[in-house]
Amino acid sequence: MAAAMVSSAGGLLAMLNEPQPTLKHHALSHLNNLVDRFWPEISTSVPIIESLYEDEEFDLHQRQLAALLVSKVFYYLGELNDSLSYALGAGAFFDVSEDTDYVHTLLAKAIDEYASLRSKAVESSEMVDIDPRLEAIVERMLGKCITDGKYQQAMGIALECRRLDKLEEAITKSDNVEGTLTYCINVSHSFVNRREYRHEVLSLLVEVYQKLPSPDYLSICQCLMFLDEPQGVATILEKLLRSDSKDDALLALQISFDLVENEHQAFLLSVRDRLPAPKTRPVEVAQAVETTATTNENLSGDVQMADDTPVTPAQTIVHETDPVDATYAERLTKIKGILSGETSIQLTLQFLYSHNKSDLLILKTIKQSVEMRNSVCHSATIYANAIMHAGTTVDTFLRENLDWLSRATNWAKFSATAGLGVIHRGHLQQGRSLMAPYLPQGGAGGGGSPYSEGGALYALGLIHANHGEGIKQFLRDSLRSTNVEVIQHGACLGLGLSALGTADEEIYDDVKSVLYTDSAVAGEAAGISMGLLLVGTATEKASEMLAYAHETQHEKIISSWYVFLGGLALGIALTVYGREEGADTLIEQMTRDQDPIIRYGGMYALALAYCGTANNKAIRQLLHFAVSDVSDDVRRTAVLALGFVLYSDPEQTPRIVSLLSESYNPHVRYGAALAVGISCAGTGLSEAISLLEPLTSDVVDFVRQGALIAMAMVMVQISEASDSRVGTFRRQLEKIILDKHEDTMSKMGAILASGILDAGGRNVTIRLLSKTKHDKVTAVIGLAVFSQFWYWYPLIYFISLAFSPTAFIGLNYDLKVPKFEFMSHAKPSLFEYPKPTTVPTSNTAAKLPTAVLSTSVKAKARAKKEAEQKANAEKASGAEKSVSESGSGKGKESADKEGDSMQVDSTATVEKKAAEPEAAFEILVNPARVVPAQEKYIKLLEDSRYVPVKVAPSGFVLLKDLREHEPEVLSLTDAPTSTASPATGAASATQGTTASAMAVDDEPQPPQAFEYAS
Amino acid sequence: MDPQLTEVSQQLERFKAAFVRKDYNTCSDLLSRLKVLLTKFTSLPPLFENTPNAAQELAIARDIYEHAVVLSVKTEDQDAFERDFFQLKPYYVDARNRLPPSPQENLILGLNLLRLLVQNRIAEFHTELELLSSATLDNPCIKHAVELEQSFMEGAYNRVLSARQTAPDATYVYFMDLLAKTIRDEIAGCSEKAYDYVSISDARQMLLFSSDQELLTYVNEEHPEWEVKDGFVVFQKAKETAPCKEIPSLQLINQTLSYARELERIV
Repeated sequence: MAAAMVSSAGGLLAMLNEPQPTLKHHALSHLNNLVDRFWPEISTSVPIIESLYEDEEFDLHQRQLAALLVSKVFYYLGELNDSLSYALGAGAFFDVSEDTDYVHTLLAKAIDEYASLRSKAVESSEMVDIDPRLEAIVERMLGKCITDGKYQQAMGIALECRRLDKLEEAITKSDNVEGTLTYCINVSHSFVNRREYRHEVLSLLVEVYQKLPSPDYLSICQCLMFLDEPQGVATILEKLLRSDSKDDALLALQISFDLVENEHQAFLLSVRDRLPAPKTRPVEVAQAVETTATTNENLSGDVQMADDTPVTPAQTIVHETDPVDATYAERLTKIKGILSGETSIQLTLQFLYSHNKSDLLILKTIKQSVEMRNSVCHSATIYANAIMHAGTTVDTFLRENLDWLSRATNWAKFSATAGLGVIHRGHLQQGRSLMAPYLPQGGAGGGGSPYSEGGALYALGLIHANHGEGIKQFLRDSLRSTNVEVIQHGACLGLGLSALGTADEEIYDDVKSVLYTDSAVAGEAAGISMGLLLVGTATEKASEMLAYAHETQHEKIISSWYVFLGGLALGIALTVYGREEGADTLIEQMTRDQDPIIRYGGMYALALAYCGTANNKAIRQLLHFAVSDVSDDVRRTAVLALGFVLYSDPEQTPRIVSLLSESYNPHVRYGAALAVGISCAGTGLSEAISLLEPLTSDVVDFVRQGALIAMAMVMVQISEASDSRVGTFRRQLEKIILDKHEDTMSKMGAILASGILDAGGRNVTIRLLSKTKHDKVTAVIGLAVFSQFWYWYPLIYFISLAFSPTAFIGLNYDLKVPKFEFMSHAKPSLFEYPKPTTVPTSNTAAKLPTAVLSTSVKAKARAKKEAEQKANAEKASGAEKSVSESGSGKGKESADKEGDSMQVDSTATVEKKAAEPEAAFEILVNPARVVPAQEKYIKLLEDSRYVPVKVAPSGFVLLKDLREHEPEVLSLTDAPTSTASPATGAASATQGTTASAMAVDDEPQPPQAFEYAS
Repeated sequence: MDPQLTEVSQQLERFKAAFVRKDYNTCSDLLSRLKVLLTKFTSLPPLFENTPNAAQELAIARDIYEHAVVLSVKTEDQDAFERDFFQLKPYYVDARNRLPPSPQENLILGLNLLRLLVQNRIAEFHTELELLSSATLDNPCIKHAVELEQSFMEGAYNRVLSARQTAPDATYVYFMDLLAKTIRDEIAGCSEKAYDYVSISDARQMLLFSSDQELLTYVNEEHPEWEVKDGFVVFQKAKETAPCKEIPSLQLINQTLSYARELERIV
């Protein structure tokens, strides 16, 4: 049969010239089958076939066939455009379901063509003629994808082509609507670049979601948040809360937590305000809520100010209403607590406090090695301390070194005081009382130094960052009642932080009046503060600020003015956060400006407007400025800004800036370092580390500084076991700090870096994206302002806004943390805390050898740890054992048995453990530290008592209790607020009152032994 | 027997009858109808399906196309010849092992070679030649064409013309006439280059015309630029061909030397 093939298409080609149409048709149809083999032969006859296609007298059917044939030949000749236009002429003959390269290629081409036409049509808002045949082909393709069950493909095409109708069809017809929707959300975030279009897509998705019989409220609410529709969220929450099922209520709580994670304060507040009060006693609840609010505002001097947790008003109502409304009211208060951010802040605070593992010895070493008179390093140490203990409320170091601390003068004093704010970040209830000693005492000149007073106001802002309901009024009053620049500076920053993104008119006016006093110091803060207030609003006010910047700059050209304008420019940039194309006019205006400092602001504007979008246009513009601008400041910022634009795609950044990192210009190198630091923060990305490593030993001191800080940002929470370079880096830092001949700049960098590396008691990471891939507004803003520390050191504290705790915190219905175990299916050493440095021999601290983390030290530490564990284990009764031990023991056992059965003979394992190799997994107890890299190893135990409402490896997760009647064991007690209260279900009643007593020096409870539930 | 096959063979018989009668118009009509009928047979190229009547169908189809080729010669239609020959070719090449060789095969192949020669498509001529087996090359029909080509290339035009008498088949005569014309054109082209003028009698001899009248008609039709006066044919040679451009050697040498000097100065 092999011989039964024609060896040439010549015969058929000849037949095309026959006079009879039948013969031509015969030839065409055969040629069409043979074209794959004989296209070179046919290609010489293409003109004949083309003329057949164009021959009007010819039967339509045959003309289409001719078109198909020509299209195929052109395809083989690589002329895709011609091929496509003929394929369109082929009409139904072009079979989209054909599985050939030809069809695939042409379809891809057609879809590209169509998508580009469609987007052109939408973007330029002029009519673009789209060939209906092209549209028909794409639609046929879509239809085919849908019928074949390739929904993801169909959605992708529909999205690309902006065919929302088809998108909807694909989603509704898919067999797993929920899955498809989730996929679609992801896709729309990562691939839809235009903001407006993304909005359209998301509103469509919400629509589809709502039509589902059992909608996925979690996702809907995420979409709604993106669309900025608080009413929708409020309605959903209300529905869930009113439901009889406890599960629904749990879901509502979970939704609230997820929303809070995105840190969109203004949105959260409006959701909260839209939640209707319980029917029967609406007035009372409103009043109750109001009273809490008003008390907060009015009691400006009162230390106990924020004491009453929102639980209290609810409690009063519950007694009098009918059960349905009672539950609703109860739930409502919970939700409101969560939405205001108080619940999550409180829990985070407790977690950070109880798990604080910061290493005071590092600080001690730094302190001792830093020269007394070097004020830069002195304050750097204070910064490092603040960052290291951010949010932990542990201020031991400061308390122990009050003498040393008192050497801080002027602005150093300001930052030292403000540092307290970072340490106590989120300590909403106690913030005022803690800062009370430093705050301005009624009227100006109450005795304290203006620097510490200003610092204290700034600290209050930091404590209440993004949750400033209670403190705003106080800060405003302070701002108004002073004329001292320094205090104004602190108050402005504080106000900006606490009222972040609320666009509060009154505050804006107050701050603006400070700006117009034309004081450099206060004006800088005012500029930033205005930016913070207006984050993402893109109002007219930005142009107003810009005009002012122009107006003033001609009069005064002094160095501090530069700082002021920098602040103002950054402020303007902040207003366009996340506006993407919407900000283009302003960006254009700023980047074209003659004054470099305005262009500098323009870079920030580009960075923030397109943050996390990886928008090609923005990247191109930034790269252009990075290499072409005349001002070093602008170039530095342009490179740095790349970090912001690319943080959603960290793998990209090292590649893009790698050339820039080798620039001759140190400013560009510095920018490259920070860009990598920002976008790869907390990822421990290998390429990022490789890029930064050479920069840490750059010839220019400030490049070294930037590289060290960036490196610390990248390596935060990466353990030495997962990347050995972390250890190297720690040793390098120590060496730089101890080296007397090192430049101050890089020394400062090293000190800050060691602070960042161990930030928040080693329990936080820098995260710019929430788990749902939304930008975290506060975090991004925090880092943006932080990068401004080039001009103004106190802004370093803004980095604390970007810290997010790496924790799994499971909560029960009462928002308490029950004892709950889950598994991390990886070697414990991969994610463990860094080993604490050892105590140096008493007075040789200055000559301390660099290699502290020698193996002997490790061994020693391990031995010590094991001894502790053994002690723990022995303390526990026969059936109980210490957490880590049982984990390791079982790991071995189950590995041997190749099964997951959890029954182990405890005594046997305890004895065996010393010689055992490291376990393959460990059991974590709620709440637990789960670093980002660890998340994929997290698994739930099958026979657990609690089931999470949403499967998530970290963050706040609500747990469904499968055995409600058994008593619960609560593991996270209100550690920082009171002496550990026993685990009771009635904790809520006492919580409010115990909140005031604050025992900072309380040791966290040792992990309690627990019983293994088999 | 398959009704379609019967129909085709009946039509073919009628075609043959008309062919013998030299009623070429009827022949063309019948032929086109036959061709349409043939498209119904799936056993034919390019499908080559194994139908029960495959062999008969192939044979009859080949017969039809062979007749078509011969007919086109008779009607002196070169386009039709080419078309039909190409359609016939698969029967010779691809269906070789399904059919007994056709007695007409070599004749037709030879004709095709001649046609190529006439149309001065020498490259294709050789391509076709390469496809033939050495045994076929000895066949008088093919050999005839090959020898013609050799003589033609050598310029032994008289041998080409005398070959007319040795043509293996009557159908060849048509092409041989055409060939004579081709040769005449060749000779004319050469003379044009070689001479400024030639006497009419020499020209007549050279261009192989039997009478002066024929020569004059030829000149008028084909080479109006030639001039006939005083018993001479004057070839209007394009004498004004531009003289060959001189190579600006001196200038180049100077330039190169100056470059070298400059280079030395830079280093």
